[in-house]
Amino acid sequence: MKLKTLEEILKKKSSKTEFAILTNLENGNSEIYMPGTSPEGEFSKYTNEIEKFFKSKKNGVIENSEIFVETYIKPIKVIIVGAVHIAQYLVDFAKSLNFEISIIDPRGYFASEQRFPDIKVINKWPKEAFEEIETNSNTALIALTHDPKIDDPALQFALKNKFYYIGALGSKKTHENRCQRLSEAGFTNDEINSIHGPIGIKLGGKSAPEIALSIIAQLVSETYKK
Amino acid sequence: MKNSFDEKILDEAQDWIKANQKVVLATVIQTWGSSPRQVGSRMIVNEKGDFSGSVSGGCVESAVVSECLSLIKDKKPCKKIEFKVSNESAWEVGLACGGEIAVYIEQIH
Repeated sequence: MKLKTLEEILKKKSSKTEFAILTNLENGNSEIYMPGTSPEGEFSKYTNEIEKFFKSKKNGVIENSEIFVETYIKPIKVIIVGAVHIAQYLVDFAKSLNFEISIIDPRGYFASEQRFPDIKVINKWPKEAFEEIETNSNTALIALTHDPKIDDPALQFALKNKFYYIGALGSKKTHENRCQRLSEAGFTNDEINSIHGPIGIKLGGKSAPEIALSIIAQLVSETYKK
Repeated sequence: MKNSFDEKILDEAQDWIKANQKVVLATVIQTWGSSPRQVGSRMIVNEKGDFSGSVSGGCVESAVVSECLSLIKDKKPCKKIEFKVSNESAWEVGLACGGEIAVYIEQIH
């Protein structure tokens, strides 16, 4: 690989642009491919196969060839409501996984940049904050404030927009009350039951990093069920 | 999980190059059976034999390092290496897990 190619790859990675690295395993030539474009020269006849790798989110060698394709696809968007202590550990764990985190918290003293360097923190109420974030069925929501006036509007938004993972922090009792409120707001039992509450897989831990670990473990597991 | 934009191995490769080291990039390009690291997993090796990242669960890293060192010594651009299930000899390099992997090594120049 040419140093120039490596530098270009790093640039694409830091701007989180989708791309693929194409390598000819026979002669060592490599090239960067942008989805939707036509590769040049020796890679030109493999456009369809390369696009297939993008669609299946996989890496591999194109059949009956010596061309290796490595795709970089957009990270999964994870929205955290509540810039609390647990969120700080979630940010740490998410760094080495393919998750891109945004945090919503209307409480300015929580949502400070100093507590969350390098993370998009939106210091607004969920309803206004969601206007700033593009979301779809590939988005996950983690509600951590256990304050109904902050969490509930976010949970309702996530249910309506069919996020693939919705989790809410709080005791069993807190969650029962939450389900009751969502039911009164017109959500079906199926929708309400799709919320992971109390959030996280059972690890037994009670500290902030332990709870964050149990949440991120559940999120990874649900991501693979997609 | 799919390749993370935050994975740091290529950034590290660039740092090593900036420090005037010769760097070989090793990438898992194919796997068969129960291989520990998925296709696209990476490791870098410099001319001193220092390495970072991984292509298996520790089974074949030492062999990949020596292959990378020969690549630098012989001034070759790239090579494909296949590792199969290890046999009874403890000294033989192979995958104790029973899988097979193909690793592609290339110099960054």
